[in-house]
Amino acid sequence: MSLLEVKEVSRSYGSGHTQVVALDSVSFDLEKGRLLAVLGPSGSGKTTLLSIIAGLLEPTSGEIRIDGSPIHLRTPREAAAFRRAHVGLVFQEYHLVPYLSAAENLLLVPHLDGRVAKADRERATKLLAEFGLEKRARHTPSMLSGGERQRVAIARALMNDPEIMLVDEPTSHLDTERGRQVVDLLRDHIRGRDMTCVMVTHDPRMAEQADEVLRLVDGRIAPV
Amino acid sequence: MLAVKELLGSKLKFGLIALAIGLVVSLTFIMASMSEGLITGMTGAKGNLDADALVFQGDTYLALERSRLTAADLETIASADGVADSYGVGQAMVSVDSADEPFDARAFGLGGNFEQLPVVEGVGIPGPDEAVLDVTAKVNGVELGDTLHLTPIDEDLTVVGFTEDRRYIMTPAIYVDLPTWERIFVATAIGRMDESGQEGAPDVDRITEQVAGSASIAAVKLAEDTTIEELADELAPAFDVVTPAEAALAGNGMSVMILAVNGIQVVSLVIGALVIGVFFYITTLHKTGQIAAVKALGASSGFVYRQLLLQITILVAIASVLGIALTLATGASMPPAMAFDPQPGRWATSLAAIFAMAYLGSLFSLRSILAIDPATALDRAEH
Repeated sequence: MSLLEVKEVSRSYGSGHTQVVALDSVSFDLEKGRLLAVLGPSGSGKTTLLSIIAGLLEPTSGEIRIDGSPIHLRTPREAAAFRRAHVGLVFQEYHLVPYLSAAENLLLVPHLDGRVAKADRERATKLLAEFGLEKRARHTPSMLSGGERQRVAIARALMNDPEIMLVDEPTSHLDTERGRQVVDLLRDHIRGRDMTCVMVTHDPRMAEQADEVLRLVDGRIAPV
Repeated sequence: MLAVKELLGSKLKFGLIALAIGLVVSLTFIMASMSEGLITGMTGAKGNLDADALVFQGDTYLALERSRLTAADLETIASADGVADSYGVGQAMVSVDSADEPFDARAFGLGGNFEQLPVVEGVGIPGPDEAVLDVTAKVNGVELGDTLHLTPIDEDLTVVGFTEDRRYIMTPAIYVDLPTWERIFVATAIGRMDESGQEGAPDVDRITEQVAGSASIAAVKLAEDTTIEELADELAPAFDVVTPAEAALAGNGMSVMILAVNGIQVVSLVIGALVIGVFFYITTLHKTGQIAAVKALGASSGFVYRQLLLQITILVAIASVLGIALTLATGASMPPAMAFDPQPGRWATSLAAIFAMAYLGSLFSLRSILAIDPATALDRAEH
């Protein structure tokens, strides 16, 4: 059974002459434990697709299901609760909270649920160690390099042990070698945890490391 | 965690905000203290009389200057049902020319109960031809042991003590015993007409006889289970009965002045609320991206707003301490004659209003928080 089901999803902005179609009848399935790279040029609809899967945007039409559960029918509050419990998000701009240390940025995730247990602290310490950041746990984002920030952002996305990771341009601020290392790290963790990941990228070299590649052009699926 | 961490992580920024809010709080408190000082300066000697009720001559509209109670009136009041104790209070306007600077004052004759005067220096109970003055008279150079010369009535009083918060129409009160007050009152009433030897000059002996045993008003202690309304009904219509607080706010344009003073305080509170609200609104606008990301991670708008409320509470609390310290320092540097009377009760009310207004001002930010789309945390430039 597919963990992620995307059926005929369309999204448009505006109306009439000013209407812009960002996504046009996009459909695909993704099995559990697979890493999908969504490849495409700027303006192709990649991030819109990611936002819809995350429940941050409503599709104009179509259906999104994660593990059989319809995302497109949820209210914003239900979608937020679903993300807290089942989704790991990695932003292109990292969006680490600037006044929190690396460890505290990870603990932000359980804090949103209203509790930070001892087990959460242990998990944060373990994740930072797995990402080679144990000596950076007390450092704020401004004291970290770009690659370290990206690793903290990925570790944060793993804090809630999500079923699906949604990753937006994870290598856009990194050089090719560091970008490759980050994607390798991401892939290893996904496989090690048997979770599913959708990674948006404009870089074909990064897409090569994924299990599957979906190419978007002008909001439509195009041959890879 | 987030709210406190953010405060600790940006100490300079939030320190400056707390200082700015502290100045607003201080401004509000200074306004409140000056307002209270103005009211005390205008009415302290009347409003602070130790009594459950003050009895005025009927139809004088609670004007201390117009009310006259004869010895028979005072006896009627003292023997009324429900009156446990009473004493006459006389008032007369005088001028003092023996100090460094000549100044106006109000002579208050008390028919007993001098223990009510808080003693700042010397004693609180004057004998014949002695006086206890409000301490603000010291600004004019009056000292303990001085002989005050009252003009134009040519009376001398020896200063035996100083009290506080006892001014009337912004002039210091001079407390004397009732017989001394009678003499001053008669002299004030006839002025220099008697000395001039003019035809038709007042008959001093007759006036003195009429004034003997009289007072301007009566201060009354009620017996248990007697209400002020019951006494008012019993003594109407010859007399008007009110509480000292009500009497303080009556006459001499006090109602208009209090309206203006309260208006100033309300305006300062509203401006304070706007300033505080705008501070946090700007802070919220500056972290729109961060809030969008936290919402994208699953935070509700309520969670984000609670963090803001916690920050407001902490910052306004710190600002309040700063504001109180600033206000007390300002008050300490003011001359005694300055209308400045810090009242914890009024400050507590102002503080509660500041917190309420700060939370109200935070609604600007709430509107902004609700409007932040978490989807903007992901790059949507490609649209």
